[in-house]
Amino acid sequence: MTENALNRTSEPKTHRARRRSDVPFFLVMSGISSCFILLIVLLLAADLMFTSLEDFKAAVMKPEIQSAFKLTLFSCTIAALLSIWVATPLGYLLSRYRFPGRLLIDTIVDIPIVLPPLVLGLSLLILFHLPIAGWELEAWLRDDVGFPVTYRWPAVILAQFSVSCAFAVRTMRVTFDQINPRAEDVARTLGCSRGQAFLQIALPQSWRGMIAATTIAWARALGEFGPILVFAGATRMRTEVLSTTVFLELSIGQLNAAVAVSLLMVVMAVIVLVALRVLGTGLTS
Amino acid sequence: MNKMLVVMLVSVVVLGTLIWMLQSGSNGRNRPANLVDPTGDGEDQPLMFFCAASNRAVMEQIVAEYTEEYGREIELQYGGSQTLLAQLEVTGAGDLYLPADDSYLKTAKEMNLVSEVLPIAKMEIVVAVRKGNPKSIQSLEDLSREDVALVQANPDATAVGKVTRRILQETGQWDLIDKSTTAYRTTVTEAANDLVVGAADAAIVYDAVLHTYPDLEYVSLPEFASGTSLVALGVTRTTRQPRAALHFARFVTARDRGLANYAKHGFQVEQGDVWSDTPELNLFAGSMLRPAIEETVKQFEKREGVRVNTVYNGCGILVAQMKAGQVPDAYFACDTEFMEQVPDLFPEPTDVSQNELVIIVKKGNPHNIAGLRDLTKEGLRVGIGHEKQCAMGWVTQNTFREGGVQTEVMENVTVQTPTGDMLVNQMRAGSLDAAVVYLSNTAGSGNFLDAVRIQGLECSVATQPYAIKPESPNALTASRLFQQICSTESQESFTAEGFRWKVDMESSGVDD
Repeated sequence: MTENALNRTSEPKTHRARRRSDVPFFLVMSGISSCFILLIVLLLAADLMFTSLEDFKAAVMKPEIQSAFKLTLFSCTIAALLSIWVATPLGYLLSRYRFPGRLLIDTIVDIPIVLPPLVLGLSLLILFHLPIAGWELEAWLRDDVGFPVTYRWPAVILAQFSVSCAFAVRTMRVTFDQINPRAEDVARTLGCSRGQAFLQIALPQSWRGMIAATTIAWARALGEFGPILVFAGATRMRTEVLSTTVFLELSIGQLNAAVAVSLLMVVMAVIVLVALRVLGTGLTS
Repeated sequence: MNKMLVVMLVSVVVLGTLIWMLQSGSNGRNRPANLVDPTGDGEDQPLMFFCAASNRAVMEQIVAEYTEEYGREIELQYGGSQTLLAQLEVTGAGDLYLPADDSYLKTAKEMNLVSEVLPIAKMEIVVAVRKGNPKSIQSLEDLSREDVALVQANPDATAVGKVTRRILQETGQWDLIDKSTTAYRTTVTEAANDLVVGAADAAIVYDAVLHTYPDLEYVSLPEFASGTSLVALGVTRTTRQPRAALHFARFVTARDRGLANYAKHGFQVEQGDVWSDTPELNLFAGSMLRPAIEETVKQFEKREGVRVNTVYNGCGILVAQMKAGQVPDAYFACDTEFMEQVPDLFPEPTDVSQNELVIIVKKGNPHNIAGLRDLTKEGLRVGIGHEKQCAMGWVTQNTFREGGVQTEVMENVTVQTPTGDMLVNQMRAGSLDAAVVYLSNTAGSGNFLDAVRIQGLECSVATQPYAIKPESPNALTASRLFQQICSTESQESFTAEGFRWKVDMESSGVDD
């Protein structure tokens, strides 16, 4: 009897205790999370307060900035698409197979991520202009192929691609790591070739990862600055992307214009990232 | 599966379309329909101009004006001075280089990347503060106050930082200012930007940087009075279009073209030349110098795309012409004596080379002439330079006088000419037995003549000075010709012609 009574009284007690424990949980979790969100929001708010709508309008109306905007949009998209085309097979190979030199390749992929941006740009510049027994890559591309790279738009894309592809490969590799290879193995026992297993089983499962990799590659390309400045230069209307515009405006003390262009980049990034997410949801559904 | 194929196909189509759009857009820009050739020498490609980002505001205007006037496209490539220098070194491409200050040009010259340097403006080190000087900064001591946040440009990476440190170390105030510095920035504009956003109260910068900052003003401190730097434009050694590059460089540094824009932006501009599409430089040079400088002048004309009207003559005659009103842009005299006769026109000559007098005799020395005294031998036909018409004649008379043989030798002198070449020709024709000429006059005559040294008389050595008329509208071009005359190739040609090189490269500022 007493035991029953004890049980009855203890039940609502534990129930109440469980209810109370949710509040601190959400407080702590959201408290920590909001620190970061708040920081970003405050940064944007400070930017908005520093500049004015007139500055923003004036910046957007400049033909140089319009040209930079177009080149940024095009080059980032090209770099992101190229990255995903390269990152998907590379990520798959690194995830699924054990082969000699795999660790080395895995490390090489990370080099663009750890290398200081200016060094990457300088390395690209040196690569294209290093004379090897009288032969020079850039001279060959310019004179024989008719496709000069250095200080032209292809240099912008190559600089962006070098970094963003590394991030895309990382993402794709994690994506394939998380997909159970069992389904592919089963498909192969049912007569699929490795290629068919990859195309028909692994790839459809990796959509979400591919969208994430494209997103991260695009975002990375947008923020790229150091290698572009060194390898592609900052020629107005030709190799100027929005990140170089910010640098050029800062160099002559036009902080308002620099901030306005930065905000333009934020708006652009938000639109593209949201569009990619929607696209990703549409594809995975 | 179908959905995936569609997405892959779409991505390839998007990729291809975007690349095609970029390529067709850049083709349109690369080949302007109305490309003209302003210098008319086949150099019609766009010029690649590495320009420090801090000069962007003024340089964009100048380039726009130049393109409008001459139609040539200039590809302005912006960046930090050090980045641009690295690009110049690695690619070996590029026609012009304008860094934030001339210290980078010195480095570029040392690295053999830059050939000509054309000065644009002076910059002074000042302390930048916000408008109205809210912290009342008036002296160097104020910078070390507790309530003043001071930023500086890095003394290892920037010229302004380097010069500031040097000056303050000399006065013993560096440690104090170093301790009071809140942060060191990698460029001088970053330091100025700190003031704008309120991260600092004072920044040590160049005055020229502040012209694009309406919210900042500056305080000049007496300690920094000696801390001036130069904005200058360099023409690369490897430029494929030297005439075109120098045409533009002259435009930028012309007082009535580019420098006017720099002045409008508040720079303390240098004097600069008067603009001329094809400048004509008038040079008076002693005849003895012709073999040594002729080729250099020709090369200079070719690279610069200018015309040099050189008048070679005996220096006495040249001085007479100048006194009669024909004043050249530059004057290269055979001896200091003939430079000193026109001090008002050419106040700052630089000694370039030396040449010694020798006695020339027929090959094999049939009259056994070993020194000045032998010229007094009876019946000897001696030729010398005309005392009034050329430096050589004047130096010869001095030498005879010092050697104590003037009267006796003059009895044997049958001819006095305004140039040494004439005497050499008369020797070869056989109308003279001996002549007193410069060693340089004998170059190329070794098969017919012997030269006898005049020993022990210092006055037998002539010194050749070069000077530029300060008011000349082409003074800058004339100074570049001087740089060319001082080049290694030119020095070799002087030595080959029997001259001794004398100019002190450091003190004459040839490298600047």
